[in-house]
Amino acid sequence: MLKKLIRHRALPGFGLSMGYTVVYLSLIILIPLAVLFLKASTLSFTEFWRTVTDERVVASYKLTLWTSFFAAFINLVFGTLIAWVLVLYDFWGKRLADAIVDLPFALPTAIAGIALTTIYAPNGWIGKYFAAMGIKIAYTPLGIMIALTFIGLPFVVRSVQPVLQDLDTRYEEAAATLGANSMQIFFKIIFPAIFPAMMTGFALAFARALGEYGSVVFISGNMPMKTEIIPLLIITKLEQFNYGGAAAIAVVMLLFSFILLFLINVWQWKTAKKQQMI
Amino acid sequence: MGISLKEVTKEFGTFRAVDNITLDIPTGDFTALLGPSGSGKTTLLRLIAGLEKIDAGTILLNGSDFSAKTVRERKVGFVFQHYALFKHMNIFDNIAFGLKVRPRKQRPSKKEITEKVMELLKLVQLEHTASRYPSQLSGGQRQRIALARALAIEPEVLLLDEPFGALDAKVRQELRHWLREIHQKLNITTLFVTHDQEEALEMADTIVVMNHGRVEQIGPPEEVYQNPANAFVYSFLGRVNELRGAALRGYLGNTIPNGDEVGYIRPHEIGLNRTLKGSSVPAEVSHVTKVGSTVRIDLKRLDLGHIFEAEMSTEKYRELGPVQKGDILYADLNHIVIFNGKNNTTQPVLENKTLRAAYL
Repeated sequence: MLKKLIRHRALPGFGLSMGYTVVYLSLIILIPLAVLFLKASTLSFTEFWRTVTDERVVASYKLTLWTSFFAAFINLVFGTLIAWVLVLYDFWGKRLADAIVDLPFALPTAIAGIALTTIYAPNGWIGKYFAAMGIKIAYTPLGIMIALTFIGLPFVVRSVQPVLQDLDTRYEEAAATLGANSMQIFFKIIFPAIFPAMMTGFALAFARALGEYGSVVFISGNMPMKTEIIPLLIITKLEQFNYGGAAAIAVVMLLFSFILLFLINVWQWKTAKKQQMI
Repeated sequence: MGISLKEVTKEFGTFRAVDNITLDIPTGDFTALLGPSGSGKTTLLRLIAGLEKIDAGTILLNGSDFSAKTVRERKVGFVFQHYALFKHMNIFDNIAFGLKVRPRKQRPSKKEITEKVMELLKLVQLEHTASRYPSQLSGGQRQRIALARALAIEPEVLLLDEPFGALDAKVRQELRHWLREIHQKLNITTLFVTHDQEEALEMADTIVVMNHGRVEQIGPPEEVYQNPANAFVYSFLGRVNELRGAALRGYLGNTIPNGDEVGYIRPHEIGLNRTLKGSSVPAEVSHVTKVGSTVRIDLKRLDLGHIFEAEMSTEKYRELGPVQKGDILYADLNHIVIFNGKNNTTQPVLENKTLRAAYL
């Protein structure tokens, strides 16, 4: 039965590599997640429901989702722009700029959080100018968004960059000979080609933002109902030894994330299938 | 009229891809740019399309100066070797692209676009593919769609860059005929680049032979084939045997050989006999190949040890009788054409008049 589903390739080793994949995925991802569900199931349904529909938790869900979404969206726009500049133009210090993109991956997030808080606090370097205009950045959802944008930046850049690099100039040339101007070439030819990669980057940045803790806790101020993110609530529950409650919140968050990522993937898979890159 | 190039030059760094080319292509002509890779033929085509900027010279299209115009303004139909169909658009949208991107005022209505696209799909005989995507089409079909797309903007000239280069032999053969038919129907000035001499000889009204960024010869296929202007053209068009030095002894007439001469003879111009006749050269058969209606025989000269190739029709071969490896035959090389090979651009020093008479 299974044999029929496997398309044979010239390279042997399907059994071994597939077995390894399953074991690896189980050990690293599936078993820990199963334990999470198991822990959540120690609560009765009413307890579970009460925990996850608690006013404070719901506010936190909403905050986490929308700040993550907007942060990923900001990264989508500016990450694409950065990738564009890095691929299409040659300038002094290009390699350095290229390396800087990866820094948010390498930096401990808590350090990023502290640094961002220092700069964007009402008395900070940048924050004081905004404070003068009456805009508060740190200790507001805006600050959370900045932190989430920071940690998600590399995803979009690194997703879009290789696709832009491989983009064949012949398509642009073909469009030009057919009379398209530069705007039309961008929106009708280049954009559709890099859009799937942009969505991949967006999905990754979004997923990363949903689970981010270290950089956000410093800049958010952690005010209940206002600037409390889900990972913080989970930590709070853990500190109160309320493991079941923490697991319940995590499970719901996990389901949200999974559904969103799954939808993005399905959509992407559909476009890829339609175009079937030659 | 048509396309007219005057002293066109293009350099990439220190490399002169196109070197001072002057060329006139009359309206409605079907011209082949023929040359080995690196001869500048594709660059020349891209210069005409405006995809490369020219360094010097002028390009006139139907009498007006196009040298400074952008690609968009030139309105030339360009077909790429690898089709360059937009993968994310279906066939209909691909062909309609050139019409849809026009400024609002010049843009045809939706209905007109649909009609035009369907008309073009009919022309390329692929009406049923309108809603498919390029990935669902075969190479030959894709190239036909690429042509339809280029024709949609009603170009004054059609430029094709190795249009059949990526296709297999059979499809290529079909498309050659098909493209000629389309040209006959539409009569658009067409310029196509190829490195395949057979393709050029078969399709073109005029062949422009290029080498090292220069034009070596321009003329109708028969003329270029029968009267090659120089050694390069001779050796590039069709299969040849090259003869140098001692092998030329006896063929130079009164000219005193100085070692720079190079002689060419096409395999089918070599006569083979079982018996010695006049100045024939004895040679040993090393291999016999039958390719369709022709027979190719590889031979080794007994006197000099050089290897050469002869070709004949199956009928001639039957007259000669079955040839086997190791047989000794006498080769008649009188149809040899000798060039002074110091530089490859000199006139033949000795022409065989009887040969020309036989063909012209």
